[in-house]
Amino acid sequence: MSPDLILILALVIGIPIVIAILFKTLWRVPRADEALIITGFGVKGAPARRAEIELGPDGQPTPQGVAAGKTFRIITGGGAFVVPVLQKAQYLTLRADAAELEVTGVDKQKIPVGVRGVAIFKVGDDDVSITNAATRFLDEAGGQMHSLVKEVFHGHLRSIIGGLSVESLIANRNELAQETRDASVQEMQKLGLVVDSLQIQDIIDPTGYIAALGEPRTAEVKMLARIAQANADREATEREQEAAALKAAAERDTAIKLAAFQAERDRAMAQTAQAGPLADAEARKQVVVQETEVADLEAQREEKRLETTVKKPADAEAYRIRVEAVGQREARVELAEASKREVELKAEADARRVQLDATAQAKRTREVGEAEAAATAAKGDAEGSSIRARGLAEAEAIAKRAEALEKESDAVIGQQLAEQLPQIVEAAAKSFSNVDNLTVLNGAQGIGEIMNQVIGQAGPALELARQALGSNGNGRAREPKEASGN
Amino acid sequence: MSASSESPVGKTGRVSRHGAIRPGRLGEVLVPIRGGIESFLARDADGGEIAAGEEVVVVDVVAAREVIVTRLYEQEPAA
Repeated sequence: MSPDLILILALVIGIPIVIAILFKTLWRVPRADEALIITGFGVKGAPARRAEIELGPDGQPTPQGVAAGKTFRIITGGGAFVVPVLQKAQYLTLRADAAELEVTGVDKQKIPVGVRGVAIFKVGDDDVSITNAATRFLDEAGGQMHSLVKEVFHGHLRSIIGGLSVESLIANRNELAQETRDASVQEMQKLGLVVDSLQIQDIIDPTGYIAALGEPRTAEVKMLARIAQANADREATEREQEAAALKAAAERDTAIKLAAFQAERDRAMAQTAQAGPLADAEARKQVVVQETEVADLEAQREEKRLETTVKKPADAEAYRIRVEAVGQREARVELAEASKREVELKAEADARRVQLDATAQAKRTREVGEAEAAATAAKGDAEGSSIRARGLAEAEAIAKRAEALEKESDAVIGQQLAEQLPQIVEAAAKSFSNVDNLTVLNGAQGIGEIMNQVIGQAGPALELARQALGSNGNGRAREPKEASGN
Repeated sequence: MSASSESPVGKTGRVSRHGAIRPGRLGEVLVPIRGGIESFLARDADGGEIAAGEEVVVVDVVAAREVIVTRLYEQEPAA
């Protein structure tokens, strides 16, 4: 290869490489979270931007105007050529940063209280903010920005805490954050910073004041919790017990059923086990029954045999004896009746003879009696005359005595009766005195009747005597005397 | 022109949740700008109140992060 060709080839390959290297070193591009600040030759007071300076209503330049007049270029999102030596390119980070805040102070009631929070901030995306931040923090590695922001927020937080009470601090953390933000707006603007977020994380309570504030409520809640837990526990226990009871009942039922089934099974088994012996017994029973029947038949046969050999002859003998006895008895009866008849006829003959004797004797007695009566009547008439004469004499005496004893006539009558009773009885008995022989046909009863008649005659006679004596006093004593004479 | 010089004037935004505008208190509005959404401190042009969540339009810039806004709708849309 010729040297020329190599040269040409080297130039062709090398020149673009050189150009690319140059471009790479000169063209600067900021990242999305950076702003490229270019200072130096050629950037001071770009004519087009200087013309954009605006004056506000008060005649002062507006922030945009100020930014436009700045002596450096701000590049965000694009790229720019940076001429070496003549220009300087620096990056300002726009990244968000977090500043931890921790402040202790006293609240409105002089109670020590602290606040812990975090502020998230970044450099504003507009030219003014970037300019402000660039003039303050460009060379810093971020440490100064951080501490500055912290100081700003600490100061504001402290003053705001001093104006609030602990209770409102707790209740309104957002309010605290908002007020802090409002108060720090001006400073942050000056620093070119934007607060993305300000969070109050914690209220520090070094004296236990907040904890004490919450105590009553905590205790109450704990009490309620314990009550609820106790109730729940009790209810759970009750349910458990109920469940246990139900379970026990179910187990009991199961056991009962199992036992019943077991019993049934045992019974069936026992029956099965006894089936053999039972069948044996049954068979034996059949045998016994048959044997019994055989024995019965034998007994019947024996009975028949005895009947023919013993009973029949005995019956015949008994019949014979009975017939003989009847015959003998009838013979004896015939004999007795014959003798009875003989006695009867003999008695009748006797009676007839007695009757005839009695009749004859009666007739004789009547004739004797009539004769004696006639004699007695004649003797009575004679005695009656004498008695009448003596009675007349006595009547007068009696009349005299009756007059004297009229009031005691009964006593007199009694006395006279007693005196005359023997005579009366004697008179009555007199009728029997003529009877020599008294035949009584009906025995002792007949004699009793005769005696009664005698004494019965004495009774009326006594009465008659009483009347006669009673009427004696009245002067009619003669009539009874005459009647008795008849 | 760099993106960082874009002005929020004329853009519509919304009052942030904690940034209601009241007289004497700067509110906070969220305005879509430079492809993102940035927050600006805001003051009502009429000196009145604008509740959180209302849509506003930026009418002026008074400081780097402070703008004057007014309601986008004369009355609240709901009313």
